Amino acid sequence: MGADRRVAGLVLLLGVVSPGCVSPSMQSDLARVRELTHLPLPQQMAEARDVSTGFPKEVGQLLQQPLTADAAVRIAFLNNRELRASLRDLGVARGQLLQAGVLPNPQVELELRQQEDPSLPFEPQTEIRVEYGLSQAVLSVVRARAARNELEAARYRTAAFVVELGYTVRAAFYAFQAAQQRVAIATQALDAFAAARDASQALFEAGNVPELDVATQDAAYESARATVAQLELEVLERREPLQRLLGLHGEATAWTVTETLPRMAGEEPSFENLERRAVTASLELAETQRRLEGAAQRAGLTRVEGWLPEVSVGVIAERKSPVAPAHGEWEWGGVLHFTVPLFDRRQGTRSAYEAEFDALMERYQGMAIDVRSAAREARNRVQSTALRARQYQQVLLPARQRVMRQTLLQYNAMQLGIFQVLQVRREQLDAELTYVELLREYWTAHAALEALLAGRRTGASMGGPMGAGGPSSLAGGTEAGGH
Amino acid sequence: MDRRSFLKWSGLATGAAMVEQAPGKPPPAQVVAPGGQVGVVTPNGATLPMKRSGKVKVGHLIAGEFEHEFAPGMRALAWGYNGRTPGPTIEVTEGDRVRFYVTNRLPEPTTVHWHGIILPNGMDGVAGLTQRPIPPGETYVYEFTLRHPGTFMYHPHFDEMTQMALGMMGMFIVHPKVPVGPRVDRDFVLMTHEWRLDVGARRPDPNEMTDFNVLTFNSKSFPATEPLLVGKGERVRIRLGNLSAMDHHPIHLHGLSFKLTATDGGYVPPSAQIPETTVLVPVGSTRVIEFVPDEPGDWAMHCHMTHHVMTQMGHDAPNMVGADTRKLDHRMSRVMPDFMTMGTLGMGGMGEMEMAMPPNSLPMRGGPGPFSYIDMGGMFTILKVRDDPDRADPQGWYAHPAGTVAGPASPQQMSADGIDVSDGNPER
Ligand SMILES: [Cu+2]
Repeated sequence: MGADRRVAGLVLLLGVVSPGCVSPSMQSDLARVRELTHLPLPQQMAEARDVSTGFPKEVGQLLQQPLTADAAVRIAFLNNRELRASLRDLGVARGQLLQAGVLPNPQVELELRQQEDPSLPFEPQTEIRVEYGLSQAVLSVVRARAARNELEAARYRTAAFVVELGYTVRAAFYAFQAAQQRVAIATQALDAFAAARDASQALFEAGNVPELDVATQDAAYESARATVAQLELEVLERREPLQRLLGLHGEATAWTVTETLPRMAGEEPSFENLERRAVTASLELAETQRRLEGAAQRAGLTRVEGWLPEVSVGVIAERKSPVAPAHGEWEWGGVLHFTVPLFDRRQGTRSAYEAEFDALMERYQGMAIDVRSAAREARNRVQSTALRARQYQQVLLPARQRVMRQTLLQYNAMQLGIFQVLQVRREQLDAELTYVELLREYWTAHAALEALLAGRRTGASMGGPMGAGGPSSLAGGTEAGGH
Repeated sequence: MDRRSFLKWSGLATGAAMVEQAPGKPPPAQVVAPGGQVGVVTPNGATLPMKRSGKVKVGHLIAGEFEHEFAPGMRALAWGYNGRTPGPTIEVTEGDRVRFYVTNRLPEPTTVHWHGIILPNGMDGVAGLTQRPIPPGETYVYEFTLRHPGTFMYHPHFDEMTQMALGMMGMFIVHPKVPVGPRVDRDFVLMTHEWRLDVGARRPDPNEMTDFNVLTFNSKSFPATEPLLVGKGERVRIRLGNLSAMDHHPIHLHGLSFKLTATDGGYVPPSAQIPETTVLVPVGSTRVIEFVPDEPGDWAMHCHMTHHVMTQMGHDAPNMVGADTRKLDHRMSRVMPDFMTMGTLGMGGMGEMEMAMPPNSLPMRGGPGPFSYIDMGGMFTILKVRDDPDRADPQGWYAHPAGTVAGPASPQQMSADGIDVSDGNPER
């Protein structure tokens, strides 16, 4: 059957030029996102999971130990539902890509007609017409290329989400850890207040001080207690955002974190060529670039579409009634179908696409400016927080420690009393409280810079816990009571 | 007449007085003036060497800065003469013509005022009034004849607040040509002084007006004060001079009563010498007392102002006496493990506590005694009365004859004497 072979050949030909295979596997999306983010994204992310079942085994294992920031990020990668959802969202773009590459279907027409000579017995005349839209098949190649850019853009978007999630988890982790550490320090300060209260009480009972001293110390202790209660609430408030980011519920909410924020890194990351590195790494710039390419391809496609006549080729087979004289054999013929692109040259669609491209281009330029600015901002924050935190770590806290040691010596020498010793201790703890807050700012700024260099602007906020109104001092001043 | 009377007061004796005393061991009393008058002993101090130049006795005082040790563990930068505070005791005889070269190695000018001595006005050493101040690095010379015997002092009269607060002062003894009163066997000079040395600081503070915390005899704080070793039955003279900034010192002696025999104004006639056990030495004055001890032993001699026998006492600590601090101690062990509550049982035991201290500080410190820690410090010394003082060890303690030391009462003795402590009130 020569004709069949010919049809098959056409189909084959079109198949060869079609956009090829799209991997339906989410694994390949994940692999690509991993490649883009340079993050060790766990393989399990791409595995389907029943929503009602528990957590991945690894999450359970990680939760056994006090969490570090790295472990928290790992859990979020394994368990954050929004992240899993965005991986699955890639399926939409992937489906669209698949569709764009699919070849148009051939048109088949079957016609049965009455014989021209009505005296003849009924024996219809048959005509089969197979037509194939050639230009659409050719255009689908270009269409698929545009769709592939859209898929790649979507993957960049997901990668950016992953980086941002990593940063958000770190920031939330440090905020919680700092809040917890601050409570521990504040509790010690509270102990110092309680000691001053106990001392004044003992002195009052011995008849050595007036009741005014007891009342003063009592009041100072009680207001310190209110401050500590506020800090305790802050710990709870800081815990929940992390809980949500890690996607934890039920029994898994009993996790703990390592007790203290890590000391500062030995040296700051290199800021050399920072703006260029940030621009190069930027996932949103890359995403927009893909979208620009897609838009360009769509605009180009429309231009081609506008001038390309709608061409379809076909085969016609006709067979007259066998009863008619000299008939009864199949007759073969061809057909060529085309439109004349006289009026509709897709001008509207094309200019819409071109406008979209131009708009996107503007955004792209603006984004590049923003990324450079964000790089400078991130550098300033790291430098400033590092400077302040290092000053506390290397100078101020040791100085406070020296004050404490010398105060104790003066106390031993009976030059100072217990109330002055406790006041100095509270001032020392107050400095530690500020230091913890600086350390939190430092590590948050650090994480923001890392995220930036991994391709994502984060808009890191430097705001302290509980906003500006949070308690930052517990030292108090209870000069009365000492004399 | 004892064997000392055979020693000539001139020649050999004068030469011996020119040798500065070795610290710790007082030299045997030697006759240095007519009528068998023995030389003065300056515990912890020295006598100024005097050279003879024709008919004039010549001495040299160098004013300067040096590190002074008030007691082991408490050192500070002081100012004084010839590297010591008080400066060397000047010891001459009535009628002597003296010439003193004064070299100024201080960072500021100075003068020397010969306190209590009647001399030509231009030799009185008051900067601006009777002379130009001696600039740093220069040497001035004073020369005068001593027309009156007595116990005098010398000190600067330029920025005296600073210079005296830092230790510039000394005693000036003029023996009479003819001894006045009974001959004495021992003649001591003690200069009282008060200082402000902040705990942990390295230089006394001349700005202090009231709150002095280092009180000294001859610029030493007990236990660094050298004891006064005397013989039972010997006649002893103690010359006290006070150049403290603000405080008079009631100096109290145990184990005897004494008579005030002279002031810097002259001799007290025997009819006016009233017996005392405490003599008040006003600021800027000298007082001379004499006594004959007849009870051997180690006798306390100290200023009776209680704060003056406390070294570097602080006033900012709250009164902890009687406070029940068990709850507090428990709390403090959590807040500050190094902290130790003090003073709840009184402060007597403070000096014995071995606690980390700031440098150059001896707060509340006393010294070792033969029975237990002596919890007094500062202006405190010991009069050691011995049967054979010249052979006795000045550092040794008195050996009490059996049954002469207070001790615990036995229940038998108490009940035999009708002492009942069950209700604690003997009047009831
Ligand atoms: Cu006194």
